Amino acid sequence: MGIVNYAPKILDPVPGGKYLVNMIDYVVNWARANSIWPLTYGTSCCAIEMMSSSMARYDIARFGSEVFRASPRQADLFIIAGTITRRMAPALQMLWEQIPGPKYAIAMGACTISGGPFVYDNYSVVRGAQNLIPVDVFIPGCPPRPEALFHGLLTLREKILHETCRSPWKEGDVRDVSTLDRYREASKAWLALERIKDEEMAEARAKFKEENPEYKSAYKPVRVKKEEFPEVERKALLGKGLENGFLSAAEIFTKTRDRFNRVVAKDMATEAIDTKSEVESADDCLENIMKYPVDFPLELTVNAEDYLDVVKFMRDDEDLKMNFLIDVTGIDYEDHFEVITQLMSMDRGHKVFIRVPLKKNFGIAEEKRANAILAQIPSITSLYPAAEFKEREVYDMFGIEFTDHPDLRRIFLDEDFTGFPLRKDFTNPHMIRRPL
Amino acid sequence: MFTPSVTHPIGDFVRKLVPDAMGYVTPYLPQSVLEYIPAANSVVAFLINAVICIIAVCIVAIGNAPILIYMERKVCAHVQCRLGPMRLGWHGTIQTIADVLKMLFKEVYAPKGADKFIFYLAPMVVLIAPFLVLTLIPFDKNMVIANVPVGIPFIIAVNGFGILGILLGGWSSNNKYSLLGSLRSGAQMISYEISFAMILLFVVMVSGETNLLSITQGQEGTILDWWIFKIPVLGFIAFVLFFISSTAELNRAPFDIAEAEQELTGGYHTEYNGTAFAMFYLAEYINLVTTSSLATTCFLGGFYPPLIGVEAVDSVLMMVPGFVWFFAKVYFMIWCYMMVRWTFVRPRVDQLMDFEWKFLLPVNLVLLGLGGAYIVLFG
Amino acid sequence: MINKGNLPPGFKIERSESNSEEFFINMGPQHPSTHGALRLALRMDGETIVEMVPHFGYIHRGIEKQAENMNYLQYILLSDRQDYLTAIQNNLGVCLAYEKALNIGVPERAEYIRVILQELGRVASHMVFFACFGGDLGGQTCLLYGFKEREMVHDIIEEVTGSRLTTNFFRPGGSTFDVPDTFIPRVKAFIKHMDKTMKDYERFLSKNIIVLERTKGIGILSKEDAIAYGCTGPMLRGSGVKYDVRKNDPYSIYDQFDFDVPVTYNGDTYDRYTIRIAEIHESLKILKQAVEKFPEGPWRAKEKPVRLPAGRYYSAIETAKGLYATYVVAASGDKPYRIHTRGPSFANLAPLNKMVQGQKISDLVAILATIDPVIPEIDR
Repeated sequence: MGIVNYAPKILDPVPGGKYLVNMIDYVVNWARANSIWPLTYGTSCCAIEMMSSSMARYDIARFGSEVFRASPRQADLFIIAGTITRRMAPALQMLWEQIPGPKYAIAMGACTISGGPFVYDNYSVVRGAQNLIPVDVFIPGCPPRPEALFHGLLTLREKILHETCRSPWKEGDVRDVSTLDRYREASKAWLALERIKDEEMAEARAKFKEENPEYKSAYKPVRVKKEEFPEVERKALLGKGLENGFLSAAEIFTKTRDRFNRVVAKDMATEAIDTKSEVESADDCLENIMKYPVDFPLELTVNAEDYLDVVKFMRDDEDLKMNFLIDVTGIDYEDHFEVITQLMSMDRGHKVFIRVPLKKNFGIAEEKRANAILAQIPSITSLYPAAEFKEREVYDMFGIEFTDHPDLRRIFLDEDFTGFPLRKDFTNPHMIRRPL
Repeated sequence: MFTPSVTHPIGDFVRKLVPDAMGYVTPYLPQSVLEYIPAANSVVAFLINAVICIIAVCIVAIGNAPILIYMERKVCAHVQCRLGPMRLGWHGTIQTIADVLKMLFKEVYAPKGADKFIFYLAPMVVLIAPFLVLTLIPFDKNMVIANVPVGIPFIIAVNGFGILGILLGGWSSNNKYSLLGSLRSGAQMISYEISFAMILLFVVMVSGETNLLSITQGQEGTILDWWIFKIPVLGFIAFVLFFISSTAELNRAPFDIAEAEQELTGGYHTEYNGTAFAMFYLAEYINLVTTSSLATTCFLGGFYPPLIGVEAVDSVLMMVPGFVWFFAKVYFMIWCYMMVRWTFVRPRVDQLMDFEWKFLLPVNLVLLGLGGAYIVLFG
Repeated sequence: MINKGNLPPGFKIERSESNSEEFFINMGPQHPSTHGALRLALRMDGETIVEMVPHFGYIHRGIEKQAENMNYLQYILLSDRQDYLTAIQNNLGVCLAYEKALNIGVPERAEYIRVILQELGRVASHMVFFACFGGDLGGQTCLLYGFKEREMVHDIIEEVTGSRLTTNFFRPGGSTFDVPDTFIPRVKAFIKHMDKTMKDYERFLSKNIIVLERTKGIGILSKEDAIAYGCTGPMLRGSGVKYDVRKNDPYSIYDQFDFDVPVTYNGDTYDRYTIRIAEIHESLKILKQAVEKFPEGPWRAKEKPVRLPAGRYYSAIETAKGLYATYVVAASGDKPYRIHTRGPSFANLAPLNKMVQGQKISDLVAILATIDPVIPEIDR
């Protein structure tokens, strides 16, 4: 509580005191409006534009706001720069609570206004910072230019200049997180409003046409001359490693097939799960491989039981020497998952993508399935330390368990998040479908 | 009759005014009161003297701080190819006033779990040291508040208060970052205190005085009579060492590991807000003034103009009053501190300690020895 | 009494008598030097870091889920928002995958536009690195100097694409529109300016004694570790592996340019810094050649509807931070079945725990700055 807030209580009853209060207001507002210290806070793209605005070209210091404070206790202004996710929301509210009053918030960029590009089909983005904290100024843009930020800052300045200590500064009441989805209601209301507007416009248009049947629009569309572009042949460039010894896809396949006879290379358009009972012959596979363009990596389909051995073989074999793990990722199909391990040899330059089909465990009751782990696969963290985070990501997104993983926790989402978002049947109360 | 120890003109004025004023009052007083008049005289004189001194210190300290903050922002801006504050007043001159007013009117609270009493005490403790040191500085021939004979030992003793305030502030905030920052700062300042004191002792040794006014008066003459140039090479080395160790004493970049915004989000003052934070800020800038004044007094000839030995030029330089020269030198020093701050990157905490204990201190000791030898050989 | 259980999640070293005085400290998600919304849980022994656990997801925006409900061209917009410092490079990565799928080539002029914008993007990103590295070491002035030159790049990019940061510029077969006439003169002027200023900047940081002390021998990443942890880009080359996608797995027309892949062998913070400075010079070298040979002609290939035939398509490019790979699984229709991005920052951050163990908290800041992560690209 600042001292200034006591001024009206004491001075207003005194005759002539209100003029003094007005004077205090003027001075205090002048000071506050001209010395706005922002908090160093940024999550994504807007943060870079916020930084740019404080740099030499744009120089926010001209307005006296270059004192970016790292500690919320010394800041006045919370520039919410960048998308706010549900995981970040509590932290954001805590920061807002820690700023001493009078405090102001600027929502910078489309994401903090409404969710921006992340409005639809999204389970993790908070649709608008005003759902979390009271916002004073919104700056549209994705991201807004530094000039736009300055305009927002000056708008805020105007707003502060009209404050009075008679109705003290808002202490910044933190709103309940359970109201996060007011946006959904708002968007419904907005849609209804738009519909009414459309109807009204259509009526007005019809009426106008009735009254002026001879009216012709003065607008002439400008036709842009359409350029003709040639068709160009795509050139496939072949990679090379640090040393010689590049193996073609067919060579890698035969080498692996010799060792593991259940490894197959499918046509790249097919799903990995095998409907046929018998394993495809090596010649069929080679035929499939020949259909690839040269710069496509070889994709091998491997059984889950062979998976660890195949990866180990590929890493240790002198000719293959797959010493680099590009990525581990997954795909969800109707009745099976597919884990894709992308390996590369830095020395030789060839790549192999290992597709491991994993049948979903449909023994689990249907209502529990959304939040249950449906498949298992051995972890390759012991072979490639790089896989640790990547496997955690696959676990987080698909609910595939990696056995023998040293630290299998959710990586991007909260521990109590329900469901695995990258499954095709994932539903979340916060997802808004795109209107058709 | 109390005689104010101060020799400046205001002191003389008080000395003259109080008995005169009492002379007007005495005829109307009863006899019983009159016998206490001499005692009352001295008490009144003492009080008036004290008030004047406090006002003088506050004007120098608090009056300088906004100017310095403005200067810092402008120097920083121009080093970084920008303009700095431009909108408020001519070239943003009253920007700092708005900042100070805003900070005074901000909400003040202590974090949950903080030791409230110490939390609010710490910023005041930080302010003690710079104010005390300011009283000893001779701004002009007769402008010194406390012309004590043990000036330099007193300064060395008083400087420790600054560390105390920072340690208390960091500890009482109940924040690990604050604690780390204050511990860093404590270690750093205590270490650099040693070389800081050593160099002051070097000055004491070569000048043969501990009183700051006498030290200044020992530098009367041309520019070559200043301690920085009077003793060839050694004086300059001592000045550079003083500059380094005082930068560390001030907790300013590149030795600002206590605040280290990129590492500790503000160090010991992470949890401070509003007025309390303003006091830390104020202390930093008053410290800047006192340290620069000390450098000016000890090395740069204090309030003496930079005479060059040419009669025509010297007579012009002599026309400018001493305190103007004093503040010109102080501001030059401050400008140097600021340029250093915005140019260098920050060393690591252990490197900083290494630098003090393994380099600065041995060099200081050698310097003391060489200074002694110089005095013995050349008087 | 030592509580042997109840370590915060992720910490692996057991509690014992010898480390009973350790404490935990939380860095982020709002911290000036975690480069956005990264949170690091630190286990400290005084000033020394015993163990570090990164926590991601504070800016997890579900881009991959969203992509499944967007059409192919709309996804290019989302690729901007992953690594916003090299948005223009991400665009190309996605477009290359589409081009492979649609089997369309790119005319020469469009390729040159691509290469020039790629290298400008690289310079811009490395200038941000220079800025943040200097800033994190405590030299605030570096922060502003780095951004000063970056603004010049963004002027050019803005003139071409219409946007400063999120460009959304490339399309399968070329780009959205042709470059203006002023493009080449401006790039030439920029190269000339950059050649001069880079010397100043190198003097500013590269030979500064405090910087050398702070960075030499700090955060060492061995060659084996760098490969095993999947590091790419300057992280990998700083550790002595001369792997660059532009050379080893060329795309666009990088095989026609003459440039070196700078490599250093110590793998410490200073090496990772010098690599990036050297890369700016190499980028300028490529830019010089590209500007000289910039051809006239069609600036895009004949348009095709972007409906990928069923299959899996993979493209890899070298962004300023490393290997940026896009993996598109197409089924039918105009929407991808799944798009996965392999961002360089995610992999580069993996060895951080190993690198910071036993270092000071100030070193962590310096090491993190040389990893140069962009968090939205990690979290996606």
